[in-house]
Amino acid sequence: MTTENGALNKRLELRATGLRKSFGGVEVLHGVDITVKGGEVLALLGENGAGKSTAIKILAGDYKRDAGVIVIDGEEADIRSPRDAGAYGLRVIYQEFSDAPDLTVAENLSLGRLPRNRFGLVDWSRVRRDAMEILEKLGIELPIRALVGTLGVAERQVLEIARALAGSARLLILDEPTSALTLEETDALFAFIERLKAQGVAIIYITHRLDEVERIADNVLVFRDGDAVAEGPVSEFGRKEMVEAMVGHELEEGVASLRGEGHEIGEPVLTIEGASSEGVFTDVDLEVREGEILSLFGRIGCGALELAEAVFGLREMIAGSMRVGDQSGQPNSPKDAIARFGIGFVPIDRKTDGLLTVLNVAENLSVASWPWMTKAGLLPPMATAKVFERWYETLDIRGKGGATQIVDTLSGGNQQKVVLGRWLERQSRLLVLAEPTRGVDVGARAQIYQVLRRFADQGIAVLIVTSDIEEVVRISDTIVVMSRGRVVARHRASEVDRAQLIRQAAEDTVEAAAAG
Amino acid sequence: MDETPVEEGGAGSPDAAPVAGISGRARIARIFVAMPPEVVLIVVLVILGFIFWQGSEFFLTTRNMRNVLLSVSVLGILAAPGTLLLISGNFDLSVASGAALCGCIAGVVAEENSAAAAILAALAVGLLAGIFNGVLSAYAGIASIVVTLGTWLGYRGLARLFSNGQTIRMNGKVEFITNDIFGVPAQIVMFVLITVLAWFVVRYTRFGRSVYAIGSNPTAARLSGIRQKPTIFVMFIVSGLLAGLAGLILASQLDAASGNAATGVELEVVAAIILGGASLSGGRGTIPGTVLGVFILGIMQNGLTLLSISSFWQDVATGVVLVAAVGLDQVRLRLSGS
Repeated sequence: MTTENGALNKRLELRATGLRKSFGGVEVLHGVDITVKGGEVLALLGENGAGKSTAIKILAGDYKRDAGVIVIDGEEADIRSPRDAGAYGLRVIYQEFSDAPDLTVAENLSLGRLPRNRFGLVDWSRVRRDAMEILEKLGIELPIRALVGTLGVAERQVLEIARALAGSARLLILDEPTSALTLEETDALFAFIERLKAQGVAIIYITHRLDEVERIADNVLVFRDGDAVAEGPVSEFGRKEMVEAMVGHELEEGVASLRGEGHEIGEPVLTIEGASSEGVFTDVDLEVREGEILSLFGRIGCGALELAEAVFGLREMIAGSMRVGDQSGQPNSPKDAIARFGIGFVPIDRKTDGLLTVLNVAENLSVASWPWMTKAGLLPPMATAKVFERWYETLDIRGKGGATQIVDTLSGGNQQKVVLGRWLERQSRLLVLAEPTRGVDVGARAQIYQVLRRFADQGIAVLIVTSDIEEVVRISDTIVVMSRGRVVARHRASEVDRAQLIRQAAEDTVEAAAAG
Repeated sequence: MDETPVEEGGAGSPDAAPVAGISGRARIARIFVAMPPEVVLIVVLVILGFIFWQGSEFFLTTRNMRNVLLSVSVLGILAAPGTLLLISGNFDLSVASGAALCGCIAGVVAEENSAAAAILAALAVGLLAGIFNGVLSAYAGIASIVVTLGTWLGYRGLARLFSNGQTIRMNGKVEFITNDIFGVPAQIVMFVLITVLAWFVVRYTRFGRSVYAIGSNPTAARLSGIRQKPTIFVMFIVSGLLAGLAGLILASQLDAASGNAATGVELEVVAAIILGGASLSGGRGTIPGTVLGVFILGIMQNGLTLLSISSFWQDVATGVVLVAAVGLDQVRLRLSGS
């Protein structure tokens, strides 16, 4: 098994051809080919929604492919479930950890196949011996008796990879592994990936950071709108070519722009000066005016999301000033942000943070307005039903059950409209939205943009935090690019194109890294 | 056999085929899914009633129904705030111990003082017990099930301390609490009033809807500007106060106070609420459901006693009904989810 350079498992060769996938009649993957060999890193590059994760989920057995063939080591592979994929040695390392944080490192490495002694009891000394062996072979140092929950993010990521390899993985698919890592941690991870490469592990590395592609990958495969649009050795690509492949040439056409060109932008609603918060953003100035839609564009972890949380009173700023209209200071709680500052907040994860899942649509729409809807503490169902009547047409909320449908049973797009409607009903003067169209289908996405534009035209100020370039160019009046907790560029939307923005985010990341 | 389409209706266009293909079984399943959970409970109640009526002539008499009401009124009074707490995702396991403690306080005070003083003392202690639970659960951030498991033991211990482990005779001093009001025993009147009030609060007030919102998704509720801590605090206070009332009713009914009063009632309360369709993870539950749960437990006990079935078997039967009813509701939920 073990080859001369100490590989754990046999080298693999994967050749997938003609992968197709549709959701609800819309094809999102138009027949792509992916080829990767042991000892090689293939970078999958593409913007959000380009089809990278769909392709990966097909390989991992999470999605059933509509068409296409996967050949592993010269034989057609029958992958229908994550279990099947595991049997062929394919493993995806997602951004969320799948380890057991309350168990030790050693036990995590044997999870699901704990060795037993002849009495049928867990053989703890073997658990530790195996763990040490695996870690040594991979050249990693981890405290095997430590509880996994006490490790840092990078260490857990490495452990996650070690677990996959201990479970005889031969192809690792890493889904944006550095998004939560610091620079030093990223360096350590890359060194580890180099070692795995030398041991013959095949790696598919998903990212949208160009600098990482240049550092770590041998080959690159660029996705755009469900097609593989460019492919080849990284050495043959310049940064410019990669960006062009990601963005395409027919840039500004095609998508209907909802930019509010020519309309009046009024008085400042939100003004932030010199805002800093421990370790997440530094010295940020920002102004959002009446009728303006401002996008804070940046990669995940750039600090924009944290800034939005601070505006809504969820995170304390250690320096700087903030004012909303005539109210100055930072809200001390969401309640304060809503009641005193008139801010509405659409959180990034609507399921866990946005929806009152087992309550009905009308209640979800009205919840933020309850304090002013109630008279003497009374809140009859008729009152919330009226709120539904007021919004369902404007927002086009499509559900069979009307006002009393349980919100959990709506589709993602309709749910997001409900969360948005909550703040329109509350007549917020500043809307803060975090990734407002994540997990939302194309139709609902357009509707959400239209509603935002319409209410901006009526004078609401809109602040969108997003890592989706499509969203940025489609909806914004003003674009502020953030990276590593700082504002790195400001644009009028009409003065900038996609390629420039992406380059800025990515290149400034490198510059900031070099400076720090 | 599911393949065979029902012949009548819409055989013409291919679009109509799936509609025509709905089997009788699927239709029943759909009705089952669509009906409110209370209907299941009413059916259970009717079936139980029918069985007991067949088994005992005495069962359906006014006198026996009055007995049932008398026996469930304390359970019902405690289950009302319990339902709100559980909807919000909280427990009060200390209610029965609290009731015993308040009863004993009333007994001790009544020895030297007026009945009014005894009643006030009992309700004040109930209020304090509720405040204690509420401060720890709502403001100190300790899970309410842990807090009230602690006070479940603690209040019971205090009750036995105050009563010296003995039964305190009340000599008719607080008997008037359970006198008839217009021919109806006062505890039944209180049970009805408290239940109606709780139903109204849950359905028609901002407080009540906030309770659902908190239980449904605490984070989302907070991000929508709902103040969680005061809401939970108030529920514990009400729960404590009503535990005091329950203690007084028990003392009045028995004309005596005991540190062992109402043992195990806290779990009957939880059982009735769960039976009524509330979810342990919060967000679900109704007052009418809880009332039906209370009645199912009460009628089981009453009916099985009339059929002279041993109390051990009664417990077994009640357990079976509890698990079966909740299981049925789970099946319904799962069907509606798919």
